Amino acid sequence: MRIASLPQPAGTGCESGFRGVVCVSFDSADDTADHDAGGRPRHDLRFTSANPESLSELRSALLRSSVGIRLVLTGSPVDIHAAAAVAAECGLAEEEVTLVSDESGLRVVFCAHCRTRTETVEPIGSEVECQGCATDLEIANHFSRRQAAYLGFAANAEEAA
Amino acid sequence: MTMTALQPEVHHAVKDGLQLEVTDVTRQTESIVSITFADPSGAPLPSYVPGSHLVVQCGTGANAYSLTGSGTAPSEYTISVLQVADGAGGSLAMHRLAAGDLVYVSRPRSAFAPAATARHFLLVAAGIGITPVLSHARACAEWGIAADLIYVHRPGAGAHVTEAKELLGSAVTECSDRVSFQKTLAEKLTTQPLGTHLYVCGPVAFMDAVLDQAREHGWPSARLHSEAFGAAELDAGEPFTVNLARSGVKLNVPAGVSLLETLEQAGKAIPNMCRKGICGECSLSVLRGKPQHRDLYLSDQEKAENTTMMCCVSRSLDEELELDL
Repeated sequence: MRIASLPQPAGTGCESGFRGVVCVSFDSADDTADHDAGGRPRHDLRFTSANPESLSELRSALLRSSVGIRLVLTGSPVDIHAAAAVAAECGLAEEEVTLVSDESGLRVVFCAHCRTRTETVEPIGSEVECQGCATDLEIANHFSRRQAAYLGFAANAEEAA
Repeated sequence: MTMTALQPEVHHAVKDGLQLEVTDVTRQTESIVSITFADPSGAPLPSYVPGSHLVVQCGTGANAYSLTGSGTAPSEYTISVLQVADGAGGSLAMHRLAAGDLVYVSRPRSAFAPAATARHFLLVAAGIGITPVLSHARACAEWGIAADLIYVHRPGAGAHVTEAKELLGSAVTECSDRVSFQKTLAEKLTTQPLGTHLYVCGPVAFMDAVLDQAREHGWPSARLHSEAFGAAELDAGEPFTVNLARSGVKLNVPAGVSLLETLEQAGKAIPNMCRKGICGECSLSVLRGKPQHRDLYLSDQEKAENTTMMCCVSRSLDEELELDL
């Protein structure tokens, strides 16, 4: 999986031989518009966010595809990481997926205690209150590609109560 | 069963291995026999990963053979051996084994393991290359994972065809000529569902052609897996000098003589097995100089690091190599 901060010219992330590109953009007007598929077939999907409906549409598009395609995901980190998790579940290899992140927006924190996912704009290393169990979570540097979320655990847990 | 079948000296490649009894020898084709081994006491054998191989000592030599089972809780190990008329003699000795003979074998070694994330398998075998692929086919059938198999063999010379068809049914395509194989391969490479991994075993030139074609059809290397059993003929190479740092000895390696042979002639005992750059046994640490890597064992990255070399086939790009020996 390669991460590009800006859309790149001519066949981003697509070494020679690929047979088609699926370009998915989340709420980002036209970020993949100039993504050059190099004359290969290109399939565009545009969603407002990575919700169950859009992810399910992405999943069925991928399950109809054959080995040889590449996937380009554009949008906020939350949306493209959720879509990348679906891609991995569908069997796409990391080197077949390119993430183009706008580096703004939310991140998801996965609570190690109650497994609730909390969205936040707070940076890594800071604290956020879990929406599930109200624990003050420290946002760890550990990112799970499968969960598409950062690990959160009880802040100051090692201090005596 | 006679104890005289045992070799007095245990080959280093099968040390800490198992001593098994031949329980069955079945002729597959004119030149291929399947040999089954079991523990003389009937004890269960160690499980193995699909695609694993076994090193079998036969005479003073030892050779690696793919296990054809799925590897789940085996009570016996089965290999298939192709008789190679112009080989080093290992296959001829193997073909002389009979039920009741005792042999030393290694524990199973895995170098062609299935990807845990694979959702589908495209298996491609040529000739005796069917053996590790059959192991994968069995594992797929056991785990309920779909697999396609393309099996290239000469008419009437295909070993394990019936078993492969029992396991995979109509997903087996047999090819006996280049044109039908090319057509089948191109069709399969462009229609595999996402998450398919390709496993190919056969002669080196055959595998290279299959892997090149897969890459042309957009398969990234993470999806490509191959297992060599025959190395291409290598040229004699340029002469060079090795400096053995720990022994303080300098040796000349003439053209046409391998580094391994040179070291052996100088009285150095270097662990080795296949002597073809496949098994990885004769690896040496390089302290200085650029080896000319000609093996199939090291990855491209390991080769680029120039700190390890396989002395059975690899030589030197520099006039002198310094080895940690």
